[in-house]
Amino acid sequence: MIDCDVHNSWSTTDELLPYMDPNFRDYLVRGELPGGRGSFPHAHRPWLHPEGFMRTDLTDDYWPGANYEVMREKLLDYYDIDFAILTSEEVIEISTLANPYYASALAKAHNDWMVDTWLPKDDRFKLSMVVAPQDPKGAADEIRRIGDHPDIVQVLVSSGSYRPYGDPFYHPIWEAAAEMGLPIAAHLGGQGGVNYNPIGCGPTTFYWETHAMLCETGMAHVASMIAHGVFEKWPNLYFVIIECGVSWLPGILWRLDADYKALRKETPWLKRLPSEYARDHIRLTTQPLEQPKNKQHLWSVLEAIDGENTLLFATDYPHWDFDDPTQIQIPPAWKDKIFDENARKVYKRLSPRRNGK
Amino acid sequence: MTDQVAKKRRSHKQFVVCKVADLSPGQRKIVDLDGKCIGLFNIKGQFYALLNYCPHNGGALCQGPITGTALPTEDYEFVYSYEEALVRCGWHGWEFEIATGKCLVDTKLKAKTYQVTVENGGDVVVHI
Repeated sequence: MIDCDVHNSWSTTDELLPYMDPNFRDYLVRGELPGGRGSFPHAHRPWLHPEGFMRTDLTDDYWPGANYEVMREKLLDYYDIDFAILTSEEVIEISTLANPYYASALAKAHNDWMVDTWLPKDDRFKLSMVVAPQDPKGAADEIRRIGDHPDIVQVLVSSGSYRPYGDPFYHPIWEAAAEMGLPIAAHLGGQGGVNYNPIGCGPTTFYWETHAMLCETGMAHVASMIAHGVFEKWPNLYFVIIECGVSWLPGILWRLDADYKALRKETPWLKRLPSEYARDHIRLTTQPLEQPKNKQHLWSVLEAIDGENTLLFATDYPHWDFDDPTQIQIPPAWKDKIFDENARKVYKRLSPRRNGK
Repeated sequence: MTDQVAKKRRSHKQFVVCKVADLSPGQRKIVDLDGKCIGLFNIKGQFYALLNYCPHNGGALCQGPITGTALPTEDYEFVYSYEEALVRCGWHGWEFEIATGKCLVDTKLKAKTYQVTVENGGDVVVHI
């Protein structure tokens, strides 16, 4: 008898290290491994950070964000943060799964786990509830199930998606969020699996090349949410784009305004210019804030989107592209709003500022 | 292990940070010296000290991996060099040569370095 298919295995991919060129050995030793240390670099998304995507000064753990004490010391207390809106780590990757029912089950488990285990740790924590956008009915049900929890402040999905988020396919989700008075947030991620097209021309190659280009998903969602009239349908809805950069937004809005003026008949449900919807409904988080040699160039661009009133500060703790609030280049006169006031307008469930704070 | 001769400077403080035997090649130690957070490295038997503050954006420079990297090449090759001679900043990953503080990607940037000597037959002394 000849068995033509017998699977042997390694117990850990570390067994490959002696056989690897030193340049790529570093990738396998320190690089991102979605399955954790010792796993094979499966491309759940095709771009894996060659050094891992965590700050290395926090803990030796593969997931530093699992360590509350370090987070308290190095982030919450260190920078005197009043509220930290938790966005979790891997869970938005549920959007990459083909099975919508499994994805929604994972979302529900995550949301209950957050309320049970993270909320009691610290008064400063506010939660994002996650939904599976490929399952609009399940997502809407989940929002109605738990979305009225006073410490849940937004509905979170990945920026990588099967189609742009203005598409009517997703409207049941936005309807439920509007009903609960919750903003929608799309966070960088979900660039793989069934979300096969996060880059306009098709897959890029390198991590840094791709990371810089993932703003494309943010651009597509901005255009789509506005064009499909999401903000006419739900005039109290905020759409927050997290970690997709900021300096691209003015250029996109200039283009949208120009094209809309000529072709408004395609979308007769709109009553205002795209840039006006953006000003009232779209918010961007600052991290990773672009760093031109001349900061005035960035500030001029940010003025064009009324950045003083539309940007929300974020650090991205504990990731490798962390923005330090003491180093970030935003106009000093805008800091109070970007660090605090703007977020309180979007996240209405946050308690008011204490006196003197 | 080579003893290094201290160049005497007019005003500086010296701190005995550890014994030579306490820090093996490839290891580092993060210490507070007179209010300065400093990384002491043993690179192939030589001791070096850098301020734990990245000149790029204030990150924890000395708490990143000690490693090598790919040299610039002409023909899509990966030539690995600086083996165990670099530290990648613990935040944003910019590469710095430990011995000189030189930043590989931006030659105008330099990490603050401190002189290190080995004295009394085994005390590792950082001069700040």
